[in-house]
Amino acid sequence: MFDLAQPAPAAAPQTRHQRVHGRAMVRLGTGPRAGVKDLAQAGSAKAMLPRMHGRAPEVVFLNTAGGITGGDRLSYTLEIGAGATATGTTQTAERAYRANGGVGRIDTHLALGAGAVLDWLPQELILFEGAALDRRLTVDMAEDAELVLLETLVLGRAAMGETLTRLHLSDRRQVRRGGRLDMVETIRLGADDLVRPGSAGLDGATTLATLTLMARDASDRLDRLRAALPTDGPVRAAASAWEGRLTARFMAAQAYPLRRALARAIPVLTNRPLPRVWQI
Amino acid sequence: MTETDLLSLTQWLSPAFPVSAYAYSHGLEAEITHGRVHDGETARDWIATVIEVGAGRNDALILLAVLSGRDADEMADLARALAGSAERWEETRAMGAAFAETVAAMRGGNGVARPYPVAVGMAARALNVPHEVVAALYLQALAASLVSVAVRFVPLGQAEGQRIQAALQPRIAALAGDLARLDAMAVEDHLGAAAFGADLATMEHEGLEVRIFRT
Repeated sequence: MFDLAQPAPAAAPQTRHQRVHGRAMVRLGTGPRAGVKDLAQAGSAKAMLPRMHGRAPEVVFLNTAGGITGGDRLSYTLEIGAGATATGTTQTAERAYRANGGVGRIDTHLALGAGAVLDWLPQELILFEGAALDRRLTVDMAEDAELVLLETLVLGRAAMGETLTRLHLSDRRQVRRGGRLDMVETIRLGADDLVRPGSAGLDGATTLATLTLMARDASDRLDRLRAALPTDGPVRAAASAWEGRLTARFMAAQAYPLRRALARAIPVLTNRPLPRVWQI
Repeated sequence: MTETDLLSLTQWLSPAFPVSAYAYSHGLEAEITHGRVHDGETARDWIATVIEVGAGRNDALILLAVLSGRDADEMADLARALAGSAERWEETRAMGAAFAETVAAMRGGNGVARPYPVAVGMAARALNVPHEVVAALYLQALAASLVSVAVRFVPLGQAEGQRIQAALQPRIAALAGDLARLDAMAVEDHLGAAAFGADLATMEHEGLEVRIFRT
């Protein structure tokens, strides 16, 4: 068999940029003082662990290419051992630029051992006009582990008044807990969705966020979270809890008020300050 | 396709079939209460979005996967994991349980409680009806139950409700055809939604002080 993954030089198109490939993997050990057991990085993906001075470790992923476009591949892995506590985030917002052919791909994999606690709080994904991106987040967590998961999408550079007309996003998030499929969220966003009339779709929103808690006592924390959500103003938000899962959804026409709403809601679930790289 | 099989399917998906479809609004009650859905046009757009890029589309994909032979328990787990709020989960769980129980009482079988699209798919496996037709009738039933919510509570005239239902038919037929042409065994690759407002509405429904519908 020929290896089809290897591009044949003769068939290579006139690439306008070097394809971005990056992989970063961090594995933390077990217990409350877990240190780094394993760290690997290749290409444009980096992982950093700033000194936390007694606080739980914070793992910061970074794409040094400054963005992603068609044909690029990024992969991030964060695994934490039994009883460990950690926060994972990204150094900056990820930018998906216009794709001149091909689809970019970002794979993120998280694993949590027994009793481990992970806050996965990446900064937002900004989709530019013409972006084409497939994103996959997969989580394997122990039955009694606890996970806070944030995903924020920004459609276009609102600050520059950009309105998207062309877009392909396939964004799949999946959590297995104790081996069982416990959460799947799949977003498919195309050009039609950007102009779809009515309030059931985007309804003018350019920023969307989903904040999820996977924990056995998720339902017990719903009232406190609801109390931290905006009830009127520019951000539409609501929350629900069921089956060891709590989800809050946010949508707004501007990114900044939504970010502020998240900054209020997240610590209610994590009981920790926001990641230090976040600038609110 | 046999006529009796088609008649069975329309019976199962009719509003008279005891799955209490009339009790669920899928968040539409919250949208009407908040004024976002307030006339025929806004009702039609809302329902079309739920059908085309919301739970309707994902449910139809799961239904088609079950019809095509994917494992029912695996698809039940997928449907459960996909439910986007407590009420969405309650809706698909309770309707599916009632559906399986009624079909078992009528025709025999084990009546295993599974989420609604999985339960319908399992029963419809025995029918000689094209998968595309099963998916189209399933989506039309969902649309009809949402139209009925809008007619009663926006409110809309009966004729206007039926105009909306008729206007959705070519879109439902096209969607069912598109979905049936996908590889049903690889259902996970095709799932996807963009009904962000409707997803929020099912959560906002939990907070309404006066609720006529269970969801």
